Amino acid sequence: MIRLGSAATIGLMALSRIAQLVAVILVIATFNFVLVRAAPGDPAQVMAGQSGASDPKLLEDLRKEYGLDKPYAVQLASYLGRVVRLDLGYSYRQRRAVVDLILERLPATLLLTVTAFCLALLIGTTLGALAGLAAGSVLDTVFTVLSLVLYATPVFWLGLMLVLVFSVTLGWLPPFGYETINVKLSPLEHVLDIAKHMIMPVTSLAAIYLAIYARLMRSSIIEVAQQDFIKTARAKGLSGPSIVVGHMLRNALVPVVTVAGMQAGALVGGAVVIETVFAWPGLGRLTFDALLQRDYPVLLGIFLILSIVVIVLNLLTDLIYRLIDPRMTTGAA
Amino acid sequence: MSDAVRAKAPVLSVEGLSIALPEGGDRPFAVENVSFEVKPNEVVCLVGESGSGKSMIAHAVLSLLPKSVDIAAGAVIVAGQDPAKLDRQALRRLRGGEAAMIFQEPLSSLNPLKRVGRQIEEMILTHQKPMPSAIEVHERVQQLLTQVGLPNPKLLEKSYPFELSGGQRQRVMIAMAMANRPALLIADEPTTALDVTTQRQILRLIDDLRRDRGMGVLLITHDFGVVADVADRVVVLRHGKVVEQGTVEEVLRSPKADYTRELIDAVPKARLDEIRRTAVHPTPLLEVIGLEKTFRVKRGLLQPPREVVAADGVSLTLYEGETLAVVGESGSGKSTLGRMIMRLTEPDGGAIRFNGQDLRQLRGEALRQARKQLQIVFQDPFASLDPRQKVGDAIARGPMAFGTSRTEAMEQARKLLVRVGLNAVAADRYPHEFSGGQRQRICIARALALKPRVLIADEAVSALDVSVQAQVLALLAELRQEMKLAMIFITHDLRIAAEIADRVIVLQKGRIVEEGATADVFTAPQAAYTRDLLDAIPGRDFFDQPGFASVTGALPTARMSS
Repeated sequence: MIRLGSAATIGLMALSRIAQLVAVILVIATFNFVLVRAAPGDPAQVMAGQSGASDPKLLEDLRKEYGLDKPYAVQLASYLGRVVRLDLGYSYRQRRAVVDLILERLPATLLLTVTAFCLALLIGTTLGALAGLAAGSVLDTVFTVLSLVLYATPVFWLGLMLVLVFSVTLGWLPPFGYETINVKLSPLEHVLDIAKHMIMPVTSLAAIYLAIYARLMRSSIIEVAQQDFIKTARAKGLSGPSIVVGHMLRNALVPVVTVAGMQAGALVGGAVVIETVFAWPGLGRLTFDALLQRDYPVLLGIFLILSIVVIVLNLLTDLIYRLIDPRMTTGAA
Repeated sequence: MSDAVRAKAPVLSVEGLSIALPEGGDRPFAVENVSFEVKPNEVVCLVGESGSGKSMIAHAVLSLLPKSVDIAAGAVIVAGQDPAKLDRQALRRLRGGEAAMIFQEPLSSLNPLKRVGRQIEEMILTHQKPMPSAIEVHERVQQLLTQVGLPNPKLLEKSYPFELSGGQRQRVMIAMAMANRPALLIADEPTTALDVTTQRQILRLIDDLRRDRGMGVLLITHDFGVVADVADRVVVLRHGKVVEQGTVEEVLRSPKADYTRELIDAVPKARLDEIRRTAVHPTPLLEVIGLEKTFRVKRGLLQPPREVVAADGVSLTLYEGETLAVVGESGSGKSTLGRMIMRLTEPDGGAIRFNGQDLRQLRGEALRQARKQLQIVFQDPFASLDPRQKVGDAIARGPMAFGTSRTEAMEQARKLLVRVGLNAVAADRYPHEFSGGQRQRICIARALALKPRVLIADEAVSALDVSVQAQVLALLAELRQEMKLAMIFITHDLRIAAEIADRVIVLQKGRIVEEGATADVFTAPQAAYTRDLLDAIPGRDFFDQPGFASVTGALPTARMSS
């Protein structure tokens, strides 16, 4: 069969996926809009209530000012129109552009989630592979029990327990926040300071995913070990380590990559809880506050950005998947 | 065999080998007190049905046995060494060095994510000391790929296993096995998953390489046709014990053990004097007219979808009470044809007339009623029964769907089970409790429960051992008489077609290349393709000789001169 340069194929695939992506984003934006409006609560009422009056005239004015008096369809159309122009609107509460609010918080969230994701994937697959290779041994049993415990531990509870032990009792780690404020630090000290603040939130966030990847990798390794081509490798006289590195790992990673890609989005969602527990100045906190204040533009903006992050992550997964498994590029099974 | 060869020390000797199975199995030993030798430049065939322990022995040679089984007694000596007693390093030198192995399924035996060239390189790099340069290795890979008859080795070494055909994959496996010029090649059912024509090519390749290099070959097979074609000596195994061993002439011409005789008799033989010429009933029951089907396989974005033509104007007529064999290699469209007649796959064009109606025009209830009269039995008896459904239910479900009461349907199911040679109590058991042959009998009972007029058997006996295969074929022949069934028998095995069919259709790439009465097609094939297929039948030269052991069990004493 004639194969075009696989780079060209992958490039074209990426293009068509981006076109799909735009369509998906618009559908998601519509869905978000409907979902937020369908939730109980009225932003005008919240704002009017906070300013100390429940004067119908004030409510009326507020609604008019923010376009909340127009029919839903009109509101939706104008919202989608703004989304297309990359205008996420203006926050009623914070009196700032939503884009600025989100961009200000996004790096902290990405730092937290990306670190947690990479660590979970790296440590999880390594432990899983070790357990799978030594299936049935004491090591395997210990790993399996540990990952089961981690898997069953609620994220917020783990966060609170870490704070209790390492901050309150031992005093080793700062209990909350992103950095120590009101101190002069050299750039290196600053980085270390942030890293120190990250340890507990990252650990709490990564724990459950680490457990998932470890269990998945363990079963994947066990399955691959039984494949015929591993027998071929043994019959070729390869050493144990060369069989693991040369033939087992890549094959075993295929299902892990699939699941990791799907869960990367959920990880961003999990950050909301962790950021609240650790007062981490990221999107999670922003979401939480916006939710309480019925701050529609901020909520919609965050949902949209998170949706885009999830879609981009899925796209990346697809590309990585194709790099790992050549059978995917030509669509052959 | 010359005396010079006889004098040489064996490359493999198995001495009183017993392999213990874990406790609680159906027998204590997988292999019991087995002894035989393989000398240089000799092909020894280890023959037996599934469960005979033949693969266990092959695995023991390279110390590749699963952890749950142990060598209980005896020894295996490969090139002067006992693999069970070697340290890790020495064992690794033996594996792939002095002795190499190839397996039944070349697709699953190659790493799917590694280019085949790399997989062969690995074999060279592991064994050659001092480590050869990258250029030397590359040249060697090219040379090996050329030696095993692969076209365009430059392009091929960059391919992934899924991009190659079954025959090409097995050639890659052989190239890999040959990389370090082993003294012994162990081939575990190397052609079972391949088409007849490919099988012949691969067997010839192994034989040529054997002769070139004076290598000993241990070939494991269940097929006496293969044995007749390539073996110098034969070891027959049953339930882990050697039933008989000797030269191919001794064993095939004058088998001493009853079991060997049964196995040889069970080989479906394209014996021309026995091909029936049944007078064909003049009423056409099923007419297929100009059936078309093209599958489009999506590929990359820029590439047009790959088109696979499964049916290109296929027309056939099936008369009442007749058995029509549809033969062809994999990808010829024979299974698709069966599925289209059942309307399990929608044809692109053409017509299927059954009982005066065009099946393609039928919808809903009318189609359901028509389907009742057309039933199918699939190749894999393991996959075609619901593992969580009792056998009785599986059989009764069909009639119940057409209004028979449950009690009556179950009663019928029990009778059918008895009719296909099982016990009535089988109705209350689950499929996993039965052997492959028994399951296929259940599938036949299930198909017959609806009292069909046409039975389509899609490779229905291909997954079975020869002796079981013969029994199931006999059962089908009886049922055909009894129930006045018309049968479409889809098979890749021409020997089976010759044994069971009144007429034969030969398919190649979705086209009928030949059609006629079985005897005519086998004695005077018109198409070159049919001749190729016939030539490729394993053991044809041997079994076709007049006076050879016939199905009735008469044992000729004539020896083949060699």
